[in-house]
Amino acid sequence: MFKKILVANRGEIAVRILRACRELGIETVAVYSEADRSALHVRYADEAYLLGPAPSRESYLRADKIIDIARKCGADAIHPGYGFLAEREAFAAACADAGITYIGPKPSAIAAMGDKMTARNTVAAAGVPVVPGTEGTGAMRDDELLAMAPKIGFPLLIKASAGGGGKGMREVASLEEMPTLLASARREAESAFGDGNVYLEKLVSGARHIEIQILADMHGSAIYLGERDCSIQRRHQKLIEEAPSPFVDETLRRKMGEVAVKAAQSVDYVNAGTIEFLVDKDSNFYFLEMNTRLQVEHPVTELVTGVDIVAEQIRIARGRQLSYKQEDIVIRGHALECRINAEDPYNGFMPSTGTITHSLLPTGPGIRVDTGVYPGFAITPFYDPMIAKLIVWGETRGQAILRMRRALEEYRIVGVRTNIPFHQTMMDSHRFMAGQYDTRFVEERFTMPEVEHDQEMHHPEIAAVFATLAAHHEAQRSAQFVMRNERDTSNWKWVGRWERMHR
Amino acid sequence: MKYVTTVANKEFTIEVIDEKHISVNGKVMEVDFESVSGQPVYSMLIDGKSYESYVYQGEEDWQVLLLGRQYPIKVEDERERRLKSAIGGKAESTGEFHLKAPMPGLVVAVTVEEGQQIEKGQVLAILESMKMQNELKAPRAGTVQRIKVKAGESVEIKQTMLSVV
Repeated sequence: MFKKILVANRGEIAVRILRACRELGIETVAVYSEADRSALHVRYADEAYLLGPAPSRESYLRADKIIDIARKCGADAIHPGYGFLAEREAFAAACADAGITYIGPKPSAIAAMGDKMTARNTVAAAGVPVVPGTEGTGAMRDDELLAMAPKIGFPLLIKASAGGGGKGMREVASLEEMPTLLASARREAESAFGDGNVYLEKLVSGARHIEIQILADMHGSAIYLGERDCSIQRRHQKLIEEAPSPFVDETLRRKMGEVAVKAAQSVDYVNAGTIEFLVDKDSNFYFLEMNTRLQVEHPVTELVTGVDIVAEQIRIARGRQLSYKQEDIVIRGHALECRINAEDPYNGFMPSTGTITHSLLPTGPGIRVDTGVYPGFAITPFYDPMIAKLIVWGETRGQAILRMRRALEEYRIVGVRTNIPFHQTMMDSHRFMAGQYDTRFVEERFTMPEVEHDQEMHHPEIAAVFATLAAHHEAQRSAQFVMRNERDTSNWKWVGRWERMHR
Repeated sequence: MKYVTTVANKEFTIEVIDEKHISVNGKVMEVDFESVSGQPVYSMLIDGKSYESYVYQGEEDWQVLLLGRQYPIKVEDERERRLKSAIGGKAESTGEFHLKAPMPGLVVAVTVEEGQQIEKGQVLAILESMKMQNELKAPRAGTVQRIKVKAGESVEIKQTMLSVV
């Protein structure tokens, strides 16, 4: 058994992993940057060590420092969470060299799946269908890519070879606009991953993004925990995830699950991982990529299967067999997750920074909130805008949606703008309710309601009273301020006299 | 105190009569309005109905977040309104546009040069914040002047980056 685990991450996911350790009776170590001294993960862990200044490059990406800390404090294992060092082959290898268990796959599997082109070649060789594109051709120059593009056909996607999370990704409708988009994609990839290489991929239209969670142990067993539908995205960033997918039936689930397990086995995969697929209208599915780590949206799978994925990751890393066989995995009910981001949906989803002054979390039946923030905590521009995940479970999809609506209404975060109104609008959308959406839904068919349209004004009179009374109070407060100053030109003199009088 | 409050195109005359009473367009209502633990979140009981809202002051208006809808609202007291009508509306703006950083971040690139003629919608600068690159675009055509930042620099929120005349 591990005695002590170091969590090489921050925010809600660090807290999530610390919680699993606490339940298993394992001691915990947090690491943090100068901006995160008062972060929840630092307060929650048994031990905490400073990494360096706020920028990730100088803190959470300092693999050398993290391994050094782990060694000094006697940690047996490191959990990387997601992002930061989670999919770096070199980091996993360095852990092994230092005699510390890396809670995740082997370095070779990270390498094989980390480079998207290698990944596509590997799984294609194992008989897994892939989307047409410039697979496995290595780094290509702009002129080569421009020559290839018409053969793949428009619309197509430019994607960063080293990337994920939509960074360095551009959609191209025609050859004319391609050179500009290539330049900006390379620039973004270069700044995000230190690697400006890109490749092209055909854009599957009307596609849904459906991914399969898998677990594999060191003894050759691998199982799938059903799917998650992550089609509600904006600029390729997932916003809402659900399990099961309203689009997937039992037959398709089994087919995709078996293919996912095959893909994982093609790289000798161990631990938790996710195979992402694009699924078209006719239920054809194509391998997109494999995430060789814990996913942001893992809780929806946990709620419908009852499996604690993080606890299982730790068990696998210890060399134990999986606690479950494929036939033990039964999908029960329906789960939804809304990512709560510090972004203003009324202002083009512009990131919002500031200090959280007030926060009231939704509670009650079927609600789970994973968060790393609390009142008094500052949201800085250094890290991801995601501040919480609101996850609900319902007996049926309908009940889950109603619950999510209720929970979003209860959730109060003051101090930064959040995208809660976006989620509320989404939960009210008829197409979402009917499960009729694809990956383009947010960008093409969705707009935030504007109160210029009268039918969108549900309570204009109440809103007017709120604004007026708030303004009225504000005016009165500033009036009092002026009066107090008028009353006494020197408060010191006044206090002095008062004290003398009472001596 | 009497206010004229505008929500989109609807105008309300709201009078604060005393601590517990207001009138909306002449109709008197009983109201209990208080902030929740000193925050800009307000709880309001109005004629027995309970509402809660997040109210904050924007650049020139109030933003009310109520039941999943955001209402931009203009509140003027009567004196202010009379004064305004006396000077004949707003003073003409100079027509200059100052590109201000919408958030703190790192300037990735300034994609225009001083003196350059630009089109409406043209990208002026790229600002990185929270791991995302955001393109800042020109709201209208004009000439770029006074570029105050360069690539690699950090900017604070509302810091002026350049001007378009």
